[in-house]
Amino acid sequence: MLNIQPYADPKYFVILLLALAPLAIGLYFGKRFALYEVIVSLVFIFLMFNGSKYHEGYALVIYMIWQWLLVWAYTLYRKKSNNSWVFYGATFLGALPLVLIKIAPAANWTHVSTLLGFMGISYLTFRSVAMIMETRDGSIKDFDPWLFLRFMLFMPAISSGPIDRYRRFVKDIVTVPTREKYVAMLEKAVWYFFLGFLYKFILAYILGTLLLPHVEHLTLLSASAHHGWSWWLIAVMYVDGLYLFFDFAGYSLFAVATSYVMGIELPMNFNKPFLAKNLKDFWNRWHMSLSFWFRDYIFMRLVFLMMKKKWFKSRVTISNIAYIANMLIMGFWHGLTWYYIAYGLFHGVGLVINDAWLRYKKKHNVPHNKFTEILAIIITFHVVMISFLLFLGFLDKLWFQ
Amino acid sequence: MKKRGLWWVFGPVLVAFILIGALFLAPFSLNHTTQKNIQDASVSFSKDVVKGQTIKTAAFSDKQMRYVPFFGSSELLRLDTMHPTMLAEKYDRNYRPFLLGQAGTESLTHYLSMQEMQPALHKKQAVFVVSRQWFTKKQSKLAFSEFYSPLQTLNWLKSIQHITPTDRYIAHELLQEARIKNSPFYANLVTKISGNKLLSNHDKKIIALRYHTLLREDQLFSNVTVSNNWNKKVIPAMKHLPEQDDEDSLLHEATRIGKAQTTNNSFGIKNSFYKYRVKNNVKKLANSQKQFDYRQSEEYADFQAVLSEFAKQHTDVLFVIQPVNQKWANYTGLNKEMYYQSVNKVKQQLTSQGFNNIADFSHEGNKKYFMQDTIHMGWNGWVAADRHIKPFLTDGYQPTNYHINDRYLTREWQNLIPTDDNLSEFK
Repeated sequence: MLNIQPYADPKYFVILLLALAPLAIGLYFGKRFALYEVIVSLVFIFLMFNGSKYHEGYALVIYMIWQWLLVWAYTLYRKKSNNSWVFYGATFLGALPLVLIKIAPAANWTHVSTLLGFMGISYLTFRSVAMIMETRDGSIKDFDPWLFLRFMLFMPAISSGPIDRYRRFVKDIVTVPTREKYVAMLEKAVWYFFLGFLYKFILAYILGTLLLPHVEHLTLLSASAHHGWSWWLIAVMYVDGLYLFFDFAGYSLFAVATSYVMGIELPMNFNKPFLAKNLKDFWNRWHMSLSFWFRDYIFMRLVFLMMKKKWFKSRVTISNIAYIANMLIMGFWHGLTWYYIAYGLFHGVGLVINDAWLRYKKKHNVPHNKFTEILAIIITFHVVMISFLLFLGFLDKLWFQ
Repeated sequence: MKKRGLWWVFGPVLVAFILIGALFLAPFSLNHTTQKNIQDASVSFSKDVVKGQTIKTAAFSDKQMRYVPFFGSSELLRLDTMHPTMLAEKYDRNYRPFLLGQAGTESLTHYLSMQEMQPALHKKQAVFVVSRQWFTKKQSKLAFSEFYSPLQTLNWLKSIQHITPTDRYIAHELLQEARIKNSPFYANLVTKISGNKLLSNHDKKIIALRYHTLLREDQLFSNVTVSNNWNKKVIPAMKHLPEQDDEDSLLHEATRIGKAQTTNNSFGIKNSFYKYRVKNNVKKLANSQKQFDYRQSEEYADFQAVLSEFAKQHTDVLFVIQPVNQKWANYTGLNKEMYYQSVNKVKQQLTSQGFNNIADFSHEGNKKYFMQDTIHMGWNGWVAADRHIKPFLTDGYQPTNYHINDRYLTREWQNLIPTDDNLSEFK
């Protein structure tokens, strides 16, 4: 059976853009063919999850019914009353399938993985849980079953984001951009597609396919002679870290470009992350739709909760605890392995140190100029690279296998 | 916001596509391969050289130098002083080896690679180094996908005039490989051959178009891989070789180098190899090869496909059978009887079909400095090989008289546990 994975090869782009052409022509002439858009999206989603991945297709259908009923039920409930425990319950139920999927590999529940797992479950969960939270806040008031499905199953971003927000998405999807604006969006789309080609098919290919196996092999070879440590490990760190960026940034550019062609302004995921001046700045530039999601729905909410309940007096303590909790949850979300959790802890502690340094700097008038800025960028880059070496699990292979 | 029309947005894209289209469909060749490119490629061991057609075609049609294909696997990589490439270069013999092989190349990869260099084989000479390690029962062809090239598959499909048992066998083998199985285009064509159906004219037209595109891609990128092996390994070796091309002084020098480089272990393994690859696991490796068995393997049939291609092209081939390091084999418990049975099996397959140029070193794995490491020939081993290679290649092409027996493609042969009796009875 035919199975087409998104953005995997040049052929995919030709098929995708041909399929989207009628939609684009419509938008250019001020019409949004909603039904056509839904059909094309469903066909592409179907092709992603059929053939050898049919069980993921079933899992997606079950999952969507679950989320659909849950968000609908919670919206109905919220109109009548607002009990915290019902809200926590709804949030927990929304996150439950994802939590099970994340525990499954560590607990060896292979049947759970086959039954519930599908590519993109994380990103769908981020979307629906955010909807539940915003419904509680009162910023989402009604449940529109049709718009809910279009938001959750928005095809360009279904497998790996970027994570859009419901209210922002709905604003785009029920309107048509002006011709001038749409042409500007197409111009950006072309630029993003080609930048994405450079990132994913050239740079990520050179780094990940040509260089990485080579340096990993050399590192493993010298590992036996020097107890795992060798200069090659540094090469692995740079190659693998940069590969991670170009591969994922390339993918994200494709998703954003495709959404622009469909007249939707999906948020960007990366903004020159390696030019970040400190770790906080880095998280405002790296996988932005995810880090903003964690900021808005975990970090901020934890901070407010701790302040409201007056668990701690010091604001600094509160934000430090929130940083570490926030990043640890992100680590756990990546997977239940020691290196993902260590990665989360690393960044949590890193953000605490970063904050302390910024406070110190403010108080003591530490000199600030072009030179210190460049130094800051270099230090931040290397801290991040070290964290990626941890994140990518190569150390696990090197030390424990 | 600046006001820009659709032409502004899509014009450059359109131009890019037109240029790419022109580049790929242009009827003239776009690349230029120099003598130096060929020289570098001949010792590069690059996967792109094994896979690619352009550089091989250029090498084997070179007017100034006679490049001879050396098929093999990891042993070819051991570019030490007595390596065939060094000897041919130093003594300016009338041939130069073009090394085709790497760790992991086995018969099926070579068979496909031969499809795109048929003119180089047709009534010409070749050297083929056989390793026993290819002939494993399970997990053979592990590296197949790394060396797989669609261009070779198309060359093979294009060349099929009438379907032979070898073609059907190859088709069947290819269909086991994910790279072919999962590509509807190739799977469909190869399935036809395996079902003994000739390709339609429509198929041939599509193949021709795809072939043209892939060949252009190959031309554009074949010179991208640069290898420094010639400057790094070959040129320095020139200084160490004796001035006279004479076996005694070669052997003397080989022994001297071998002695100097095998000081940190009692197996006669090169120091660096022992230090990085063996030392830390040496305890674990004792008796680790007890269960190894080279007697039953699909590889025997893959090898047969190679033989029938040589027969088809009337190639005059010298087969080199590598030994294993005897001390190492004893230490790791490799079964000697099994080993010699498997050597006899391959030799039977060769001689019964008229392939009589065999340099069999299987009994020489215990000689001093013959092996560079556990399974690869080195110093004195290469000198011994040269005793066969040099006269074979300097004398030039001799007409062949091969008679192919397709029974060697069958499961029966693959699974035959060889004894003296059943080998001579197998017909």
